[in-house]
Amino acid sequence: MPMKPKKQTSISYNFLKWLLFLMLVAFIATTVFLWVFQTRLANNNADNLLRLNITDVKADIKDATNDHMLELVRSISAELDDIDADTASKEEMSARIAEMLTRYDVTEIDIINSKGIIVACNIESFVGFDMASGEQSKEFLVLLEGEKEMVQEFQAQSYDSSIERKYAGASLTNGGLVQIGYDYAHLQASVDHEVVSLTRNRHVGNNGRVLIVDQDKNIVSNVKGVDRKKLDLEAFGIKPGSVQTGQRVTANVEGIEFYCMAEMAEGYYIISAIPVKEVTITRNMVVIMAVAVEMLIFIALTLLVYLLIKKQIVVSVNRINHSLSEITNGNLDVTMDVRNNLEFDSLSNDINATVDTLKRYIKDAEERIDAELAFAKAIQHSALPSVFPPYPNRKEFEIFATMHTAKEVGGDFYDFYFVDEDNFAFLIADVSGKGIPAAMFMMQSKTIIKSCAESGMSVEQVFTVANEKLCEGNDAGMFVTAWMGILNVKTGKVLFANAGHNPPLVKHADGTYEYLKSRAGFVLAGMEGVRYRKNELELAPGDAIYLYTDGVTEATDLNTELYGEDRLHIVLEKYKDATPQVICDEVKKDVDAFVGEAPQFDDITMLALKYCGKEDAQ
Amino acid sequence: MTIEKNLNGTELTVTIAGRLDTTTAPELEAAFKESLAGVTKLVLDFASLEYLSSAGLRVILQAQKTMNKQGEMIIKNVNETINEIFEVTGFIDILTIE
Repeated sequence: MPMKPKKQTSISYNFLKWLLFLMLVAFIATTVFLWVFQTRLANNNADNLLRLNITDVKADIKDATNDHMLELVRSISAELDDIDADTASKEEMSARIAEMLTRYDVTEIDIINSKGIIVACNIESFVGFDMASGEQSKEFLVLLEGEKEMVQEFQAQSYDSSIERKYAGASLTNGGLVQIGYDYAHLQASVDHEVVSLTRNRHVGNNGRVLIVDQDKNIVSNVKGVDRKKLDLEAFGIKPGSVQTGQRVTANVEGIEFYCMAEMAEGYYIISAIPVKEVTITRNMVVIMAVAVEMLIFIALTLLVYLLIKKQIVVSVNRINHSLSEITNGNLDVTMDVRNNLEFDSLSNDINATVDTLKRYIKDAEERIDAELAFAKAIQHSALPSVFPPYPNRKEFEIFATMHTAKEVGGDFYDFYFVDEDNFAFLIADVSGKGIPAAMFMMQSKTIIKSCAESGMSVEQVFTVANEKLCEGNDAGMFVTAWMGILNVKTGKVLFANAGHNPPLVKHADGTYEYLKSRAGFVLAGMEGVRYRKNELELAPGDAIYLYTDGVTEATDLNTELYGEDRLHIVLEKYKDATPQVICDEVKKDVDAFVGEAPQFDDITMLALKYCGKEDAQ
Repeated sequence: MTIEKNLNGTELTVTIAGRLDTTTAPELEAAFKESLAGVTKLVLDFASLEYLSSAGLRVILQAQKTMNKQGEMIIKNVNETINEIFEVTGFIDILTIE
């Protein structure tokens, strides 16, 4: 079952289709990658920015509180330099503590002896506590070993972890150390004014901000519009008491989305926030610009590759096709010369080699055929009597005949032979067609006619019998026209029959030539059952008869004009006294002159016979 | 050469125009082969026939032989040149010319 043929498309179209598709895929892939990468980058940058701001603010807060407390503890220590922590009485120390407590407005003051035990404190329960027993408190022991002062972060204390304090300590002149502590309220109070200004002019990016929020959710930082309000920590993703440091969180505040990060320092929540839009705008711009450039590059690339392929392949293929069609139109001498790359160079060479091989085969075949035809021509020509004069010792007549084939072999023939001592048969014939088929039928006809004639039949019987024989096995439907005469050389009487052949010309005593009209019989081998009639002609000595085939009268010149019967008549009249050979030669010459450059279209055959009278009368 | 065929029942009229020679005779031969089956009267119109060679005579003879078996064949509108060819070749005796 034959498949319906797919509609075919060109290399350019197919290639471009696929190229565009692949370019599109590549474009989409790079765009996606770019988007993802840029987003990551933007987010990382935002993170860094947020973190950095927090770190700075944290440090600022720490510095502020630490400085303040150190100042205090230094003063307090100086005031207490007359006290020896190891020997002084608890009452005295407590009294001094109580007094300083209010004056310095601190939450706690402890005096610790040189062994690290709290010996006096405004909080009774702390007395007796061994500083070495807790991680937080232990740190202060360095003050017993030479350090002058130190300060800690706001954190849970060792004695009671539910209490959060910021502690600072200084060594006492006489041994031991004094420690002060701030609870949250005091801490805030002491640094409040500083904290407020820490964020006033601080920007995160263009529109981002840092917020500082105290433990009561009051916003203490100085940012326009949000001063002293309470902050919804939950909205910022912050669970009070546990702050995820260093993690970016997306918060939605009053409909606007923010990236936020939060840390705790000294009891304050430090939150840096930047509008998500700010982050994404930068990313979007980068991506859009990159995509635009990408598109231009991809389009340019696609075009270039397409044009390149077209140049390398399509143009070359078309040139090869063009040359090939010249070859198919018959010009086998065309050579391929498309050599813009290795493959086409090779292709050109291969095609040229193929054509050369074919040409060689054709030439070989032609030469074989030519040789065969030359051979056939030789056979055919040797089958016709070609020796002149054929009967040198018979003086009753002169005869000459020629056959010139249009191709190597032809369908015309002449023949002559004595059927008995006194009767000489001579004939001319023309097989329908030319070339090999006509040649084969010609040989057969000649043979059959001769055998009939030599068996002694009269001329019309020869044709009648030959006709029947030639009709046998003649499926090809060939036929042959013929004119045959049998001359009684003693009397000059010619008995003749005509099977559809053009009438011969006869020269009589007055020297003029005349067409010998007779009732024409049907062609030979045309149809069975045809009967031929006998005709008579008297030749006087000196009379001549000229037989020819229509190749003479129908010879055509370059203007497609025919030689015609008139011209033939004229030539014959001109050479009426010449020998048969001269007559034939002159007619041939005249026909050749007339035809000129035009090719010979049909076989040209002629036979001229001159009657000289019976031997002894000469 | 152009060939026009006109079938009227079992009578077929074939009009031939142009040259009937070695190159065009096969076309006419094929046309006859295709259309003569069942025809009882074949009419050949030679009004526009310009030239006739022996190859053409062959095809006409074949047609005549075929029609001799199944009916009759008539040739009409024969011009002088064509008629002379028929006379010289003796075809005039076996063809029916009107």
